[in-house]
Amino acid sequence: MNKQRLFKGGDIASEDSAKLQRGDVLVEGTRITRVAPNLIAPPDCEVIDCTGKIILPALFDVHVHAREPGQEQKENIRACSEAAINGGVTGFVMMPNTLPAIDNAGVVKTVLESAARCRIPIYTSGAITKGREGKELAAIGAMKAAGAVMITDDGFPVANPVVLRRAMEYARDFGLIVASHCETMDLSGKGAMHEGSVSYSLGLEGIPAISEEICLDRDIRIAQYTGAHIHIQHVTTARGMNTIRRFKEEGVKVTCEVSPHHLIFNHEDVGDYDTNYKMNPPLRTREDNAALLQGLVDGIFDVIATDHAPHTPFEKNNDFASAPFGITGLETALPSLHHYFISKVKLGWDLLVRRYSAEPRRLLGHKAVPVIEGGAAEFIVFDPNADTVFDRDFIKSKSVNTPFLDKSMRGRVDMVIHAGDLLLLR
Amino acid sequence: MTPRKDLLDIQSLTDEELDFILTNAVPFKNLFKRSVKKVPTLRGRTVLTLFYEPSTRTRSSFEVAASRLSADVINFSVNTSSVVKGESVLDTISTLEAMRTDYVVVRHGMSGIPNLIARNTTASVINAGDGFHAHPTQALLDVFTLKEVFGGDLRGSRIAFIGDIQHSRVARSTNLLCRRMGMSTAMLAPGSLIPRDTPPEIAAFTNWDQVFAWKPDVIYLLRVQMERQNVPFIPSIGEYHRIYGLTDERLKRVRDSGIYVMHPGPVNRGVELNDSVMTYERCLINQQVENGIAVRMSVLYWLKPGSVEGTGS
Repeated sequence: MNKQRLFKGGDIASEDSAKLQRGDVLVEGTRITRVAPNLIAPPDCEVIDCTGKIILPALFDVHVHAREPGQEQKENIRACSEAAINGGVTGFVMMPNTLPAIDNAGVVKTVLESAARCRIPIYTSGAITKGREGKELAAIGAMKAAGAVMITDDGFPVANPVVLRRAMEYARDFGLIVASHCETMDLSGKGAMHEGSVSYSLGLEGIPAISEEICLDRDIRIAQYTGAHIHIQHVTTARGMNTIRRFKEEGVKVTCEVSPHHLIFNHEDVGDYDTNYKMNPPLRTREDNAALLQGLVDGIFDVIATDHAPHTPFEKNNDFASAPFGITGLETALPSLHHYFISKVKLGWDLLVRRYSAEPRRLLGHKAVPVIEGGAAEFIVFDPNADTVFDRDFIKSKSVNTPFLDKSMRGRVDMVIHAGDLLLLR
Repeated sequence: MTPRKDLLDIQSLTDEELDFILTNAVPFKNLFKRSVKKVPTLRGRTVLTLFYEPSTRTRSSFEVAASRLSADVINFSVNTSSVVKGESVLDTISTLEAMRTDYVVVRHGMSGIPNLIARNTTASVINAGDGFHAHPTQALLDVFTLKEVFGGDLRGSRIAFIGDIQHSRVARSTNLLCRRMGMSTAMLAPGSLIPRDTPPEIAAFTNWDQVFAWKPDVIYLLRVQMERQNVPFIPSIGEYHRIYGLTDERLKRVRDSGIYVMHPGPVNRGVELNDSVMTYERCLINQQVENGIAVRMSVLYWLKPGSVEGTGS
């Protein structure tokens, strides 16, 4: 496509500046060819008015459950990719807890074939152990050769430290990131939510914070010992976060992520057993919300990731203990982060761009996609003054298990541009 | 008073509603002294009991309460032997909807099941005990009993709960309601059976001497769960009884101090109490059972099936 488009009058966000820069953006083919104020549109150029809107690099999510193969009633790769686009995300990494698990080169190839039919690039992780059973190493080298970008048994920890040690020693030499879902299963037991005052009053078995913190500490120490790159998924507690901070200061190759829901919600939001607030790790306390947000500002968290986890209404319309863990997130992440934090000046656009666009891409060894002359045309047009209502018509995911269902958030993704193509125009 | 569809927990009751239920239980209890104990209040209405946990006492109490109000009572037979999840409960509920039941009395081993049912039926749902969550009619009958004993005003009275606080819905509901009535509450249990983050206004003790020093007016004994996930909470029943049980020596101190004893039943002799407690003159266990019927009649009388407002906390 050699079509020219001029995005006129918007304010451009970048990871390097807390201030937005007024600028017109000229796109030719797959590249941004000019960025400057008051550009004159060339002949035959489509002009798109972006007055009052924000232009920011498109987002990238390193933690997504696309449910394919095996659980297509919840989600499939195609629907998941459309959900991503709907939320301004132009690339993501799939988790291997499918049926069967993505634990060998054959399944990696299969899901990547499905992914190749989507409008955005989609990457996959592979399992650390066969069937994610925590016993025997999966075909890590073969999966890497087939295109897997990280390994994880996400949904479960690798309970046996010897298995994790071997996996890290092995994966290290393939340059694969080992991503950890940190949980001490015996301590979690049958817990359904954070162990605390709310689990007490609702009479639900709790998942204590130490279940996560002990495993997190253990996994980073094994990474330190083996020299592997460990990525801690969905950190939820202040204490766990501070453990990561300390190991980072020691120079351990540890990166970590925080999810929007752990920043926004806490265990009090579970209310009347609302299963759209049930996920693993669970929502913690109000104090943890504040600490995690500060950690994001301080740069402890490398990336924001949603842990998009679709489930059907039938599965979620269950008693709290029996309903599955997980909520969707791809479509709600940016508007909700804007609504709760950016519009209230608790987070800057630079931080959002760094943590949900640039750093996730760099984590996979890709380049960031700043909105600059000569850069890739990979950006979002976001209207900070419009509202998004997350009703069934809006949601492109096959599932609607989100606390934001039928709620309104300030801010709306109006356009998504990927490789020069206008993937979304609202 | 706004019409209320369900009784799911104590938290969601207003003071006015509490007063209504407790006040109206008095005339219902007075009926029991008459030869004809029945009133036509709920004639033509259907009360269905749905017990996923075995319970003879609570179930019979509801049955008697409903029949004394002239309601038709149906025991819906469900599987109590295995874990029945919410999704299967909802299937049952859709069947019951077709039967146009007015009241559903439900007991289930999982917390929140009555809330789930209440959201999915127009019938009035009464929680007869769910998981560790709530047992509101037990709390109401306990407080009704205490009011009889202490003459109406419970402010300043002291009640100590002893036993498995962690796994007791009674400890949660009755304790909460006692505090709402202005009582001071305390708890004693092995550390492994005390939940984290209990409300700070509940005094937490580690031995009986502390409980006696606190000068309770009432001791409320609870049953004990031995283990979960194959990991025991306590070394043995014998040790529990010696350290935390109401032994004969402790009963002597209880008697000397004029302390009342309550228990939600059924009791475990040789565990949380000794047989001699059952003949103790200030043991309120049988009074609790009798009052349970009156209070449950009052609850049935108060609830309004089909009202849209008020589905719990």
